[in-house]
Amino acid sequence: MKGVLKNQMLTAVKNQIKVIVLSLKYNIMRQMINKVTFLSNIIFMILNDASFIVQWAVLFSIRDVIGGYTLKEVLLIWGIAANTFAISHLLFYKTYEMPDLIINGKLDSFLVQPKNVFLSVITSDTSISAIGDLIYAYICLIIYGFSIKNFILFTLFSITGAIILTSVVSIAGSLCFWITKGDILADSLTNIMINFATYPGTIFKGVVKIILYTIIPVGIANYMPVDVIINFNAIKFLYIIAFTIFITALAFVIFYKGLKRYSSANLMGAKL
Amino acid sequence: MRKYLYIYKSTLIENLSYIPNILFGFINFGVMMFIFLNLWQYMYSDGGQVISGYTIEEMIWYVLIAEILWFGTRNKNLTRQISQDIKSGNIAYNINKPYNYIFYIICKHLGDITIKFIAFIIVGAAIGNLFVGPIKGFSLTNLPFIAITILLGVLINSILRILISIISFWIEDSTPFHWLYDKLILVIGTIFPIDIFPEFIRPILQFTPIFVVTYGPTKLIIDFSMQRFIEVVIAQIIYLIISFSLTIILYERGVKKSNVNGG
Repeated sequence: MKGVLKNQMLTAVKNQIKVIVLSLKYNIMRQMINKVTFLSNIIFMILNDASFIVQWAVLFSIRDVIGGYTLKEVLLIWGIAANTFAISHLLFYKTYEMPDLIINGKLDSFLVQPKNVFLSVITSDTSISAIGDLIYAYICLIIYGFSIKNFILFTLFSITGAIILTSVVSIAGSLCFWITKGDILADSLTNIMINFATYPGTIFKGVVKIILYTIIPVGIANYMPVDVIINFNAIKFLYIIAFTIFITALAFVIFYKGLKRYSSANLMGAKL
Repeated sequence: MRKYLYIYKSTLIENLSYIPNILFGFINFGVMMFIFLNLWQYMYSDGGQVISGYTIEEMIWYVLIAEILWFGTRNKNLTRQISQDIKSGNIAYNINKPYNYIFYIICKHLGDITIKFIAFIIVGAAIGNLFVGPIKGFSLTNLPFIAITILLGVLINSILRILISIISFWIEDSTPFHWLYDKLILVIGTIFPIDIFPEFIRPILQFTPIFVVTYGPTKLIIDFSMQRFIEVVIAQIIYLIISFSLTIILYERGVKKSNVNGG
């Protein structure tokens, strides 16, 4: 009996992953219709990210080490931040529009689908410019120092970071089930996560540091992975994995709790 | 002229109902300021009291004022609405109205940002005075001159944004160009002053929009001189004329090129 249940769960997970991959594939194909826009989005995003190298080059011309990090290590911070953001925006872009879906009653079409509602919602759109972030992230890794170990850890932590970021954005977005102005709060929280992710955690002290490892978990999504890549630490590694599982479960629970309060706007629209 | 004043006034009144949105906007501003405050305190913690001619107080005031000019005048309508109007074909409804679309967008934008900008100035000044203390040598008699450069800077920034959005007539989505403009102003002109860059780059940077949009007005607040004021205003007037002429020319060419089906 236990074995059958396990098989059923595995098949469900496999199916869900298949749906996510297909969703990503069709989202990209749809955006590729206009090739100029598609390419300009990617190339300009790489340039956009690279512009911050100027900022850090200037800061490092004043001091050789900032917050215990050299320029190469700051590039690793940027790499993790960009990849976290990229994976989240490639796979789960609709999470960032969740407040609009909830406030304006646009969840109807997802509710009638035979798949997990939460995953169907968040995987239903893709931000193409995120491909630019992804490319930039791996350029940062190459500059920092490419090795198989670094590549695996970098990719793994980018995935856990993306899941943490998406979960935080989703929890903030789900608040719209209860609060009308939740969209502004969700937007602010997303921006806070992204802004803090690109600076060394060591320059922040006291209460802020505690907040960055709890309520706004940039510390676990970004700072801790950078430390583990530089100096491997098994406890920190397991902590990141455990926290990722915990916050994902929390995002699911809050979304489904809120969904019970959802009321449709009877909005007619085509879902392409 | 009266119709444009009316557009400005009606947008301003409309925005009065969105005060909570403005208040939430302070969260992002506060976070950015907090990060830079920490960063610069760290940079100055090594005993180096002056970096590129700036004390820590002057540097934080510079970042604070430049961020006010940046955050206080940001408007999604300006960057997205024009692109959306062009992409969706809505531009057709605006072309045949009894006003010039470019003037309409400028007035609407100014109406959108007025309350927000004033609120940012008040909050920014309060933060600065609380954490760093008053700006040394600042005199209220210089305020009218500074106000002129700030207003011109805001206007030039708006026109440059419109100019970028108009690219949508040719490549559908102008957002990537906005990213680059954003980063040019933010990374080079807001996070730190031009003076921090190597000497050979500074003259080049003085020809970029950074000088007329953020650096010029901000530097005048921190260290006012009549000669600098004249330099900034002349540069701003030249920028205004060129960017506005270019916007009108490109807009008219774009309208001739556009092809809207049905409705």
